Amino acid sequence: MTFTLILEQTFNGLQAGVTLFLVAAGLTLILGIMDFVFLAHGSQVMIGAYAAAAITQATGNFYLGVLLAIPVTFASGYLLEFLIIRHLYRRDHMEQVLATFGLILFFNEAIRVSFGPAALFSDLPPSLSGFVEILPATPYPAYRLGVIIVGLLCAVGIHLLVSRTRIGAMVRAGANNPEMTAALGINIKILFRFIFATGACLAGVAGMMLGPLTAVQPGMGEPLLILSLVVIIIGGIGSVRGAFVAAIIVGLVDTLGRVFLPAILRLFVEQATADGAGPALASMLVYILMAVVLIFRPTGLFPAKG
Amino acid sequence: MSGLSHFLILASDGMKTNRLFWLLIAGFALFPIFTHFADLPFWNDVAMRIMLLGMAAMGLNLVLGYGGMVSFGHAAFIGIGAYCVGIGDFYGLTNGWAHILLGIVVCGLMGLVIGYLALRTSGIYFIMITLAFAQMLFFLFVSLEQFGGDDGMSIDRAEFGFIDLYNPLRLYFLIWVALALVGLGLMFIVHSRFGVTLRAIKSNESRIEAMGLQPLQYKITGYVISAVICGLAGVLFANWQEYVSPDIMHWTRSGELMIIIILGGLGTLAGPLLGAIVFLLLEESLPIMLDTVAPAYAENWMILFGPLLIMVVMFGRGGLVGLLSAQRQSKNNLKRDNVGQ
Amino acid sequence: MNKVITIGAIVGLVAAGTALYLQSQKKSDNVKVGYMTTLSGGAGIIGKQMQNAVNLAMEHKGGKLGGMNAEIIFADDQRKPDVAKQLANRLMKSDKVDVVAGVIWSNLLMAIHKPVTRNGTLLISSNAGPSPIAGAQCNKNFVSMSWQNDQTPEGMGKHMQDAGIKSVYLMAPNYQAGKDMLAGFKRYYKGTIKGEVYTKLGQSDFQAELSALRAAGAEATMIFQPGGMGINFVKQWKQAGMDSVSKLYTVFSVDGVSLPALKDAAIGILGTQTWSPDLDNAINKKFVGDYKAKFGAYPSFYAAQAYDTILAIDHAIAKSGSKDTAKMRTVLAAGNIPTTRGNLKMNTNQFPIQNIYLREAVKDADGIVTTKVTSTVFTDHADSYASQCKF
Repeated sequence: MTFTLILEQTFNGLQAGVTLFLVAAGLTLILGIMDFVFLAHGSQVMIGAYAAAAITQATGNFYLGVLLAIPVTFASGYLLEFLIIRHLYRRDHMEQVLATFGLILFFNEAIRVSFGPAALFSDLPPSLSGFVEILPATPYPAYRLGVIIVGLLCAVGIHLLVSRTRIGAMVRAGANNPEMTAALGINIKILFRFIFATGACLAGVAGMMLGPLTAVQPGMGEPLLILSLVVIIIGGIGSVRGAFVAAIIVGLVDTLGRVFLPAILRLFVEQATADGAGPALASMLVYILMAVVLIFRPTGLFPAKG
Repeated sequence: MSGLSHFLILASDGMKTNRLFWLLIAGFALFPIFTHFADLPFWNDVAMRIMLLGMAAMGLNLVLGYGGMVSFGHAAFIGIGAYCVGIGDFYGLTNGWAHILLGIVVCGLMGLVIGYLALRTSGIYFIMITLAFAQMLFFLFVSLEQFGGDDGMSIDRAEFGFIDLYNPLRLYFLIWVALALVGLGLMFIVHSRFGVTLRAIKSNESRIEAMGLQPLQYKITGYVISAVICGLAGVLFANWQEYVSPDIMHWTRSGELMIIIILGGLGTLAGPLLGAIVFLLLEESLPIMLDTVAPAYAENWMILFGPLLIMVVMFGRGGLVGLLSAQRQSKNNLKRDNVGQ
Repeated sequence: MNKVITIGAIVGLVAAGTALYLQSQKKSDNVKVGYMTTLSGGAGIIGKQMQNAVNLAMEHKGGKLGGMNAEIIFADDQRKPDVAKQLANRLMKSDKVDVVAGVIWSNLLMAIHKPVTRNGTLLISSNAGPSPIAGAQCNKNFVSMSWQNDQTPEGMGKHMQDAGIKSVYLMAPNYQAGKDMLAGFKRYYKGTIKGEVYTKLGQSDFQAELSALRAAGAEATMIFQPGGMGINFVKQWKQAGMDSVSKLYTVFSVDGVSLPALKDAAIGILGTQTWSPDLDNAINKKFVGDYKAKFGAYPSFYAAQAYDTILAIDHAIAKSGSKDTAKMRTVLAAGNIPTTRGNLKMNTNQFPIQNIYLREAVKDADGIVTTKVTSTVFTDHADSYASQCKF
């Protein structure tokens, strides 16, 4: 276990964290501002991935695929909010859970009917298939570097949008006190729709980035959904800054935990037990982290309200 | 008034207001007669599955429907109950009553520990922490190679002394009796002082605190009782399935329980059972219908199920019980609290 | 109004479904086969291929098995053990099938094994082969038309041992099948194991594991990552340029299900398997040729085994002259069953004794990526649990 390996794994953890942030950012705003439990956020990731993969296949150009898929995902989020979501704001959390669970089922099947149950073919664009030496003798896929850059740019962009613009001020006001914000005469309906569509778009971008790396198949968004729920809980609902910090933490803990936990355990217990317990513990690590955070800070690290 | 007459009045009152539930119970008792004459023995299996799912959902309903605590981890208690049978069987403990006792004790303790830790939070945080605990238990059982890991273990049905569980009707009525007892117990709990307080906590927690009571004690007690009920369902489920595996405690199963409760009617006695009936029957009938209408898409039946759930939420206030009963459920059950969120 | 519509929709669907189901019950003297597989949900693609293969087999047999008119009842287990158990009961008690066959997943097979065999119905597995059923918990009413889980990785272990590969890095998901695969591998491979990593089930990003792999510097890497996990892993392996670090070997990860998504990324990867589309016998040639023509892609081993299952039932009935369970299993236990793998021999625990081949992913004449046999690792390889099985 060398120092360079630890550095390389930290880099991997950062990339995982940044991707998580793209998904969590939208979700924390939706949950924080609209108080809406949107379980189908993972489906937005899937829609983005499919849109990009399909357009790339049709046009033969990856960048065109991503560029055109962005408005497609924005539109899908916009439409979804207009047709269904806005009727459910006043409902119990449990009913929102039920309805969005139904949406997950619907989207997964709809994708399966349109594209078939097999995974869609998607690959790296040739221009990004090379390597960059981030450390001596450590080639790192250029594409993943691109993902980190895109993720960080988005983070900066969201930060600027939320803290420097009027819309951002409305968003922050909405997160802090929705009733007062509405009372001030701001068109909450359009604001909500915009926030929802943007959140969907961000999740879609995460999906588009992941498409060439992973299998584009129905249900690909659900694991990311669970993890991003954990992220926004740790970070504090409604806080984009909290989502960023928590996403990086979760990405690092998950990555470093996976690779180093069995070795660390071996220092304390005999090898057979360490090898058996290690992977199990590693899968639980993120949940243990969340439980610990909640026990000491029941509303997360950077809660937006109060 | 003497204790016995108080009990009888409460019982007959309960029977009247919870008419639907007892009607369903009677229906389940008579169902095997129907299947016998219609020569459809397989449907007894469906009925048993429905009763078990309904039982677990009733347990969750105590905290979810009446108590307002959205626990995403209750499938874990079903799993623990089931594994009490499996692990007991593994070590040669085959007495069914011992399994039930073990299940109650272990689930009670786990419910106490998890409830105590989780109930320090509320709202969406509570949902997530219960989910976290459930996931941890799931991964724990997946990693236990000795007990089959995720391949699970085949088990023999337990010995209950005079009741031979391999006689299908005996198992059916054992489950039926358990379901009726759970229903009876819940009916008393809900209408007792404890139950009224629990429901009041759901409605306005700070008011209860102002009255000098400790909401946390009530919530934890409710949580433990619901865990025990789910555990009992798990013990019986393991006997029915003759097999245990971590699949029973996957978080999507908790989601299914929640769907069933909301579908049937939150905070009602008959709701969970009714929801279980409709849910499982839909699971059976939708694929067949799609197969007849559009065979090429037969396996995509969930594309109908999803929108159906959405429709129930959008248009069916109070679930099926609300739709069926003449009086509308009190709107208080459904209005979102802003307190404590 | 909305309330009425909703309740009407639900009641209507339930009633219609029940009515249609009841109507479809016909009693006849046909042979009935209940074929259970996963058709809906995430793994539906595998079930779909098996369903295609079964239908193709029935077409080839003219709708008859062993000379009797036959009916296949497909059942979708949704990958849930309790649904599988209920389906098994329905197939046996309601549809009164003569054979229950199929079953992709080991945990589902474990769930229905006892109920079906206890009922005296013949149970034939088209895929799952967990060790308890091959050993201590075996039952004479069960026949496997696929393999025992450990056989394929045992083949890989032997190949790498014989090829003199000095060090290996192992990786599999952290569940029972994953542990079985690596245990089977280690039974025959005696070189240095530089790492044995269990990844999370359903994991999609392996970059961290690949970094650790690179640091370990093993001569070869052996992985078991079925389904979507395999697609992810192989893609990322190539994207990280790992071919220059270590040679990749696989079991159950590069096959007819994952190749369409991997395409050229898979070329050159080696794996062991009990079957390959290019096996040179008449039955296999017809199967692969017709499957490609009808469904537009190469069949996977799941499909081949499903096809073999139908051939086995046909053989059993034809040779025994009846659809009685005891008679059918006696014929099958004797082996010599004509399948896509040649004439299949049977072990005492009614699991196949078969060849294990080394296969490489290559491009065929039409530019489609498929697998080709490069050598035979084991001839007539038996599973390691037969001695524990006493009927």
